[in-house]
Amino acid sequence: MTSPTFDTVSRALRWLRRHPRIALVGLNVAALLIAYDVVTRPGAWFGPQDITWRRSQINGDLYVGIDPSYPPFAEWTPDGIIGLEADIAREIARRIDTTAHIQIMGFDGLYSALYTGSVDLVIAGLKVDPAQTSWVHYTQPYFDAGQVLVSSSGAPIDSMRQLDGKTVAVEIASAGDMAAQRWSRRLGALTIERFMLPDEAMRAVQNGTAAAALVDTVSARLYIEEHPDLRMAGETTVPDGYVIALRKKNFRLAEEIDRALADMIDDGTLNAIIERWL
Amino acid sequence: MDLTAPLPTKKLLRAAGLVARLLILVWVLKALAPAPPIVRLGPPQTVHTEQPAVCVHTRLTDEVEEWKIQRTLSMVREMGAPTIVEFFPWPYVEGERGEFDWSHPDRIIRHAENQGLDVIARLGLVPHWARPPVHEKVTTFTYLTDEHFEAFADFVRAFAARYRGRVDTIIIWNEPNLSIEWGDRQVDPEAYTWLLRFAYAAAHEGNPDVTVLGGALAPTTEAEDSLYGMSDIRYLERMYEAGAAEAFDALAVHTYGFTLPPQDEPDPGVINFRRVELLRAVMEHYGDGDKSIVITESGWNDDPRWTRAVRPGQRIVYMLDAFDMVAAWPWAEQLCIWIFRQPLDLHNRRDAYYALVSSDFYARPIYEAIQAYARGWENPYAP
Repeated sequence: MTSPTFDTVSRALRWLRRHPRIALVGLNVAALLIAYDVVTRPGAWFGPQDITWRRSQINGDLYVGIDPSYPPFAEWTPDGIIGLEADIAREIARRIDTTAHIQIMGFDGLYSALYTGSVDLVIAGLKVDPAQTSWVHYTQPYFDAGQVLVSSSGAPIDSMRQLDGKTVAVEIASAGDMAAQRWSRRLGALTIERFMLPDEAMRAVQNGTAAAALVDTVSARLYIEEHPDLRMAGETTVPDGYVIALRKKNFRLAEEIDRALADMIDDGTLNAIIERWL
Repeated sequence: MDLTAPLPTKKLLRAAGLVARLLILVWVLKALAPAPPIVRLGPPQTVHTEQPAVCVHTRLTDEVEEWKIQRTLSMVREMGAPTIVEFFPWPYVEGERGEFDWSHPDRIIRHAENQGLDVIARLGLVPHWARPPVHEKVTTFTYLTDEHFEAFADFVRAFAARYRGRVDTIIIWNEPNLSIEWGDRQVDPEAYTWLLRFAYAAAHEGNPDVTVLGGALAPTTEAEDSLYGMSDIRYLERMYEAGAAEAFDALAVHTYGFTLPPQDEPDPGVINFRRVELLRAVMEHYGDGDKSIVITESGWNDDPRWTRAVRPGQRIVYMLDAFDMVAAWPWAEQLCIWIFRQPLDLHNRRDAYYALVSSDFYARPIYEAIQAYARGWENPYAP
């Protein structure tokens, strides 16, 4: 007894033997389609070319859109644009053998500048916007500004589950507050203490009122810098990744920047830049 | 060709059959496409509130889908705000001179009415035909010269008449003390007053019961000769000097707190919430103190990436304190928050953090806090 699949294949082969001309035409059409696909792929002979990448390599320039309204990420000073995002942009540019030319603009003009080609990439605390993905390529996050647990170094807390039966301090009406409310429904007994400011929530951990504080990463980093008795959990409870945006049609530039960013993460450069500013 | 030969009936029938099958296929595929959602008004609603001064500026101008208009307005009603401010651009209605298409405002006003909401209509922008042709001069949507003031007044008249009894408060123009809102030109309080006179007369012709709000000035400390704008206080003084007292029934005011609490003392050199008191003083100085003020834009922003923003908890406290202050001012009517919701948050980050509700209708904590305040419930975000 033969399997139905074997029967089907046998029948197909018999049909091909009976119609050799049709089979040949079909084979040729398939070969042509594959060849067409290969030669018209982005970067291939007849495919679209990444002119921006070529220009950046010939001229050695990379135009970067930045919104300098948010220190320490980006700030406009008499000495130029400084900050975490400016440093990341400069380092990426260096790694692809270019020099970053930072263009300052308001946040709402960033996508337009990218679309019209005024800049090659945008680094300004952007989040992935599903409405833009038809033409925008987003890198992996270079910074997670989400809500993170801060606890005492002597009694570390790394996940919300560890807070069952304990108290978590949050900034009132923040994303951390919302997350804590969700967790209080999941856990048996989670007490939420609300404070007006994130620093007050972290102070509650220091004075023993709360086991941990769930606050935004920027506030946490700045506070812990001055209070080494506290520590941050390794991962955020509510992630909020900042990404770099490029035009999708600049596929080669996107590929190179993705690689440069990945290398910066692997060799610790990105972390060193973040540590420098936060 | 032998025309007397019999027609190839079989072939014709086969071809006709093929065409019929193709048509059926197209019909079936079309039927598979999702139908647009049907929006029904439903029974008329009533706003339950203990704070009638609570008002929000909605942003339905660019909202294409009707269900989103309805959802927005029902959330406004559920929050306990009895009044909205909404923008009705002139070019949307009179895209060609004398040809009015009221479908967009009709739809918004119909839904607002059904939710039991009062509408304050902000009228502005300029259609292409009331601006110079592009080959002569490139202009922006806010460029209006005095030769077309009457045309704008005609639109105001038509609007007031059409919505008489349904929309009885109209704001003439938006922030004319900023050059960006005045056709990218040097601002001109005298010209705006002239425009206001035309519009005021026309609005009252269309609807004798209408309340015309003038001003809607942007809070700014720009000098009188600045290219960007002019201090709202000085601009209002010049409006009065040009005879504006006769051209509006109440003053529309925009006042923002930025990083300062609402109690911060008024100061001409500082932009804070109580700047409205300085404008009030100008009104009284020019003998116009019997008119009221409607705060048609106000609020605090909680963008974590903006240096002029506050933390979310501060925003709630400041906003509720501001409502209490307005309730205590006998000359103030409403406090309208900029902004209730916008169509796409990720396209306008600044407004996303002014909004009470996200683009996907997630009610932010400040929405719940204002709802509790307006409806007399316990504030879930009390400090």
